[in-house]
Amino acid sequence: MESSRAAHLSALVCLAAYSAPPGPHTLTYYYYSEPRSLDPALSTDVPTGEVVAMLYDNLTQFDVEGRLGPGLATRWETDRSGLVYTFHLRTDARFHDGRPVTARDVRASYLRALAPGTQGGRAWPLYPIRHARAYAAGDTSAGPAIAIPDDSPVVITLAEPLNIFPKLLAMPVAAIVPAGADSRFGDQPVGSGPWRFASWLHDHALVLVRNPDYWGQVPLVDTLRIRIIPEALTQAAEYEAGRRSVVEIPFGETRLWERRRPAELERRPALRVFYIAINTTRGPLRDVRVRRALNHAVDVPTILANLLGGRGTLSAGALPPQLPGFDASRARYAYDPGRARSLLAEAGFPNGFALQLWRSQRPEYARVAQAVQQDLADVGIRVEIVERDAASARAAARKGDTDLFLTDWYGDYPDAENFNYPLFHSSNRGPGGNLAFLADPALDRLIERARRTTDPGEKERLDRAIDRRVFELAPWIFCWFPEDLWAVRPEVKGWHIPAIFNGQRWNTVRKVR
Amino acid sequence: MIRFLAFRIATLVPTLLGVLAVAFVLLYVAPGDPVQAMVGERADAATIARLRAELRLDDPLPRQFVHYVGSAVRGDLGRSYVTQRPVLGDLLQRFPATLRLATAAMLFASLTGIAIGVYGAWRPGTLGDRLATLGAYLGISFPVYWVGLLLILVFAVTLRWFPPSGSTGLAALVLPALTLGMRSVAFLARISRTAMQEVLQSDFIRVARAQGLSEPVVVLSRGLRNALLPVLTVLGLDFGSYLTGSILTESIFGWPGVGRYVLDAISKRDLPAVQGSILFLSLVFVLVNLITDLLYAKADPRVAYD
Repeated sequence: MESSRAAHLSALVCLAAYSAPPGPHTLTYYYYSEPRSLDPALSTDVPTGEVVAMLYDNLTQFDVEGRLGPGLATRWETDRSGLVYTFHLRTDARFHDGRPVTARDVRASYLRALAPGTQGGRAWPLYPIRHARAYAAGDTSAGPAIAIPDDSPVVITLAEPLNIFPKLLAMPVAAIVPAGADSRFGDQPVGSGPWRFASWLHDHALVLVRNPDYWGQVPLVDTLRIRIIPEALTQAAEYEAGRRSVVEIPFGETRLWERRRPAELERRPALRVFYIAINTTRGPLRDVRVRRALNHAVDVPTILANLLGGRGTLSAGALPPQLPGFDASRARYAYDPGRARSLLAEAGFPNGFALQLWRSQRPEYARVAQAVQQDLADVGIRVEIVERDAASARAAARKGDTDLFLTDWYGDYPDAENFNYPLFHSSNRGPGGNLAFLADPALDRLIERARRTTDPGEKERLDRAIDRRVFELAPWIFCWFPEDLWAVRPEVKGWHIPAIFNGQRWNTVRKVR
Repeated sequence: MIRFLAFRIATLVPTLLGVLAVAFVLLYVAPGDPVQAMVGERADAATIARLRAELRLDDPLPRQFVHYVGSAVRGDLGRSYVTQRPVLGDLLQRFPATLRLATAAMLFASLTGIAIGVYGAWRPGTLGDRLATLGAYLGISFPVYWVGLLLILVFAVTLRWFPPSGSTGLAALVLPALTLGMRSVAFLARISRTAMQEVLQSDFIRVARAQGLSEPVVVLSRGLRNALLPVLTVLGLDFGSYLTGSILTESIFGWPGVGRYVLDAISKRDLPAVQGSILFLSLVFVLVNLITDLLYAKADPRVAYD
């Protein structure tokens, strides 16, 4: 009797101490790692990019569907040359400290992001502005060509025509901060976005409160609390305990969640491609027949179905299906070990050869790498799997030290250019994103034309031709376009998976009882 | 005693310098580049080269080391390449959370471990002794990661007694402290059991019993007090390692401590943050050991004379 009472008492103490799930006026989100900073100029990671979209505005902005729309600029136009862009600013936007947002702030924000002393490392979305690259390198003789005749408009002249420029201005590094922002800005941010900064306990929680004076949709709840939770299983536990509004489902848990909470799941094709980069400058991999043989040798459909819960669409190129330029009629390299063997024999490798497959330590990569190793062994290619932490594996791939590199690419903005240019243009070999070290002059010319044209129809046609050329050159083992899968608490309404990482600003999300 | 203290403090300096030198060299020979980690997935060679120069990463290694040690001596551990915040400030902000967790874990481990050990020595071979010892060994045999997740599943998700993660309030401290402290329970139980068994067979215990003192007084007051010396050593070492090495527990429970800071810094090759953390944690470890030694010397003056 005594022990039973003691047990009840201890349970009561625990319950009293337990911090209950948040109330109806608080939404709760999480990041897997701490944002690098709350300063847009330092946004190189996804958490920073996401929170910058909540605290700040850009001239242009993506919505949840990934559509580009007005931000601080109500409209914009370009001249016939495609070089001069004019952005007309709204007059009702104010920073959180009450100051109006003017063209002067826009210019100061871009200069600040480009300035060498900022050390952000990711100012490339602003490099298309004439003289911006030189300015970033420390040459201040001619500043970036950003003219501000008055509080509005902002007139930007580019170094060469670039049709995606308005999309680049929607990226986090191009968010607008008040002129005169100093180095403390990363911890005490002042933006003009739908949420205001309240507090940040590093590695624990970031708290934002709604901005009642926002020019756009004012958030529907008072507080957005963002916890930093690195472990996927702990994130899921927080969700199950009712303490997170949403949670991303890891690939390995797909079937479990589909069985247990089907009504709470939301899906969206991710703007992401999963692939194995083939270094086209190394040994037998220089031969396109060998690269095609690798594509025929790996049973990608089975890997996707069995190891990743079928969460994705098989790829026959690098462009995700949701982007203009995608060609649904193209068939992928079929799984055909016989065809792979004959291609290898044709290329002079009837007995196969040895190579290394590099991967980072992500759990889903381990199983995929083993399956690829087994499939390639069946056609005589002996694969050694090299596992490294993410930074080391990426550094090796960028230096060109890997034969095969298992990796993925997340879109920064929804446009074919964001896949074609960084991943396949010869100027981007290595650190720029072209981990296959592909250098094909015909492909380069196509990519350059697609970037410059001012005709959307021609751009789409060129993007389709680029993707076809990439497919023919087989610089990757083409795998799949993953599908995002999230669970949303039943009481949370209005939240949807964004098509692009900074497209969800949480200002249309609410809670119902 | 003063000579003993002076000697121990004098050995601190070369110890810390040695740790720093080894850490410095290891970080520079390890693969991976801090600038590449900074710039993300898409960067151009010119930006990378410029950042390397700005961060003085192209300077010769000895010059970098001398520069770093010079700053560290002045109490400046530099700024993080990634966040651009002062490393010392970041560490000082996170250390109280680590200290809180380590103290709670140590409290749990010492109370449980010593209780099991004392009971085992007092009633050796009984069912209670065997069950307690088995429990303690199971605790040390399971990986920290597994124990943490199991506790979350049972007590946070199913019973909802405690939050699954976080550091706000006493309730949030319970599961991480149990997870972290679990591995010390078995060590402490074994050490205290052996020490107690030895003490309980001593003449002064027989005398105490002959004097008619009650059994709890004999065991706890006379016995435990004299058996605590070896236990103190284990406590000191474990507490030092809790303060410096609770990376897994902090990650599982989203605990905002120094362990996670180090892990994050290593994964991003944030050299000032890694070096600063190593120096800071080495200092903490050495100081905890020094305090343990002083307590030891206080409890047993022969240690200081040796």
